Amino acid sequence: MIETELHDLSDDADYAASQQQGSQSMMRSDSGRRSEPEGSEIVYMKDNVSIHPTQYMSERISGRLKLVKQGDSLFMTWIPYKGQNTNARLSERDRNLYTIRPLPFTDVRSIRRHTPPLGWQYIIVVLSSGLAFPPLYFYNGGVKEFLTTIKQHVSLVRSADDANVFIVNDFQDPLQKTLSSLELPGVVSVAAPSTNASAAVSPTQGNQGRTDVSAFDSNSSLQSLRRQRNKSNDPTKDLSIQVLEKFSLVTKFARETTSQLFGESSGDQLFSNDLKKHSHSQSLPDLHSQSSNDLEEVPCEAPVPADPMEWLTFLDSEGRVVDSIELRKRIFYGGVVHELRKEVWPFLLGCYDYNSTYAEREYLRSVRKQDYEIIKLQWQSISPEQAKRFTKFRERKGLIEKDVVRTDRSFSFYDGDDNPNVNLLHDILLTYSFYNFDLGYCQGMSDYLSPLLFVMEDEFEVFWCFAALMERVGPNFNRDQSGMHAQLFALSKSLPVKFLMSAMSQTEMRYEETMRLWEILWTHYPSEHLHLYICVAILKRYRNKIIGEQMDFDTLLKFINGLSGQIDLDSIVRDAEALCICAGETGEACIPPGTPPSLPVENGLVSSQLEDEVL
Amino acid sequence: MASRRRMLLKVIILGDSGVGKTSLMNQFVNHKFSNQYKATIGADFLTKEVQIDDRLFTLQIWDTAGQERFQSLGVAFYRGADCCVLVYDVNVTKSFDDLNRWREDFLLQASPHDPDNFPFVVLGNKIDVDGGNSRVVSSKKAKAWCASKGNIPYFETSAKDGTNVEAAFQCIAKNAIKNEPEEDTYLPDTIDMSGGQQQRSSGCDC
Repeated sequence: MIETELHDLSDDADYAASQQQGSQSMMRSDSGRRSEPEGSEIVYMKDNVSIHPTQYMSERISGRLKLVKQGDSLFMTWIPYKGQNTNARLSERDRNLYTIRPLPFTDVRSIRRHTPPLGWQYIIVVLSSGLAFPPLYFYNGGVKEFLTTIKQHVSLVRSADDANVFIVNDFQDPLQKTLSSLELPGVVSVAAPSTNASAAVSPTQGNQGRTDVSAFDSNSSLQSLRRQRNKSNDPTKDLSIQVLEKFSLVTKFARETTSQLFGESSGDQLFSNDLKKHSHSQSLPDLHSQSSNDLEEVPCEAPVPADPMEWLTFLDSEGRVVDSIELRKRIFYGGVVHELRKEVWPFLLGCYDYNSTYAEREYLRSVRKQDYEIIKLQWQSISPEQAKRFTKFRERKGLIEKDVVRTDRSFSFYDGDDNPNVNLLHDILLTYSFYNFDLGYCQGMSDYLSPLLFVMEDEFEVFWCFAALMERVGPNFNRDQSGMHAQLFALSKSLPVKFLMSAMSQTEMRYEETMRLWEILWTHYPSEHLHLYICVAILKRYRNKIIGEQMDFDTLLKFINGLSGQIDLDSIVRDAEALCICAGETGEACIPPGTPPSLPVENGLVSSQLEDEVL
Repeated sequence: MASRRRMLLKVIILGDSGVGKTSLMNQFVNHKFSNQYKATIGADFLTKEVQIDDRLFTLQIWDTAGQERFQSLGVAFYRGADCCVLVYDVNVTKSFDDLNRWREDFLLQASPHDPDNFPFVVLGNKIDVDGGNSRVVSSKKAKAWCASKGNIPYFETSAKDGTNVEAAFQCIAKNAIKNEPEEDTYLPDTIDMSGGQQQRSSGCDC
């Protein structure tokens, strides 16, 4: 039954175009439905759906359109993004005024669609009362899909009078609903005859190189179909979508930050001189020229954390993350709600493959649980007598014991005497030091582990996430056996490290912010070396003070240590994002290959300059 | 009146992880004790004005990380030190045994002009723990070691209740001053009554 209701969406020009460019669409129309049988679920979601409250096209409020299924009822919501004022004249009041709170489809009489050959598609929703909402513009396309999704849940009949008007008849009786939907020619008369369930899924899969060839034998024909559609598409529109796509990254704040960051003329000789040079000659002018046209209004995704419902929309029916780039982007900008972290972090850390299925992960879990117990048993089975003759073990254990009792103890999760969580920190670190005996234990590791334990539930899962994290940052601890293990903390080699440490220092910074920062860095979006840009951003911010006061090494160190907890995470990440985008490929090229992600380097972007300056 | 450079005394605290280096520093400078310090990573310092023989000095106390593998960072912090404080935990034998290693490592990395006479002070910390019942390193043993290394001054302290902390740092400051004149021989221009050389205050702006 489901199969007959699904339609090939690749003939929706906007939809196809947006999908093909790895767009910001986060919609997964059929994924969550099967996996969450009870409660409400999001069956459709589209970002950058906007209204124009005034006659001026330049004034618009962007938001997210959702269809939510609860029991047998379908609801529609449209929530404007917060704090994305494209125009000062649009007040918060306007935002509230236009918000569409959960609207049952029993209250909807009809939906009129407008698909002009030039310009954006929009719909008008008319209520049973006769009132109508303002036109909703689909800047990412997806009108057809919106209607298709509705049709899967409520009866939607094309009006005999106007082919663009669809009448809603929400039959409460499921049988009647089914019958009614079967009898109708369908909302989308152009639906391809070869359409099947998988075809409806595949447009999103085209983006990310997953090749379930057997399941998608119609893939190639679909591709060509989409190509065809694109060809017939208005080229100027395609172009603007591309531009929009590109510059949705550089949002208004980023541009402001950019000019702020690069606008200062004094004292440039010390920091990111190269970066500045490159940016001025290349990326930056582009950026500014873009801002002169109506790209001013490009909305960015709302900085609202993703919730479990939204998470489901990223998964296909078997639990694969369909578009990992989109997911990481989403997390970079908005994060995830806390209870979802335990689901999402293992992916970010590389603990699970994005392409793994529920079943594969379940299997992996059972294997890993066993493996963990085995490694743990290795040290648990060491008797006191044996330990007496095992200096290395005793020392390592002693060091860990000393550190776990001073790791985030002011945080409620770890406070108090005989806190079992502190014991867990100990067990996991000691087990890790056996799992990776060469690396062993290094001070600072407990700080990495602490938020993982707080977020995850199962000890073994915490362990494997920690192990995955150490795989990434390991080189920082283990760079040089002769003593440069502590790359991360090598203040003498790489001053920005200290800046980052200041920002990350957990006891001084609110715990939530720490977790958020890790999350951001782990997304490796927009660069796996974002931490370096964060360092630069922090340096930039305090440049005038540092240079103006001609700080010597001691003063500088003191000043940097004093920044702990003083740095506003959001604004510094925004600065870093802007820097990263401005630096572009030139910036990335400055970072030596092999530089560990998410943690500092010996001769990174600016560290070498600083080194000369300071030491 | 002496130049500003001469008034700054740089002190480095070394010792195994968890012997109480950070706590000693904070007890002396802020008269506070917390059992919630986190492991020191990298280094930090605190300053405190001290008066020795009617003269005011700024004591710059450097707190360092205790884990061995951080020691390669030492050279950046050790340079220009006027005194080195070696700390061990009287309840942990190994921390005492390691004093030798810490001392030698410091001399190697800081490479002071006269290593044989460079001022050290040894502190046996945590004498308060368990009412002294868990103590494993005797006072006698510690003093014998100090004597063998050129009569290093020795104090037994409790960073927790403050026992002997003030006295220990007074001694540290005095010893640091003793180290001073030597440096004047290679930085003569710092004796400048006009104060015009103040930028070169830290002695390590290299």
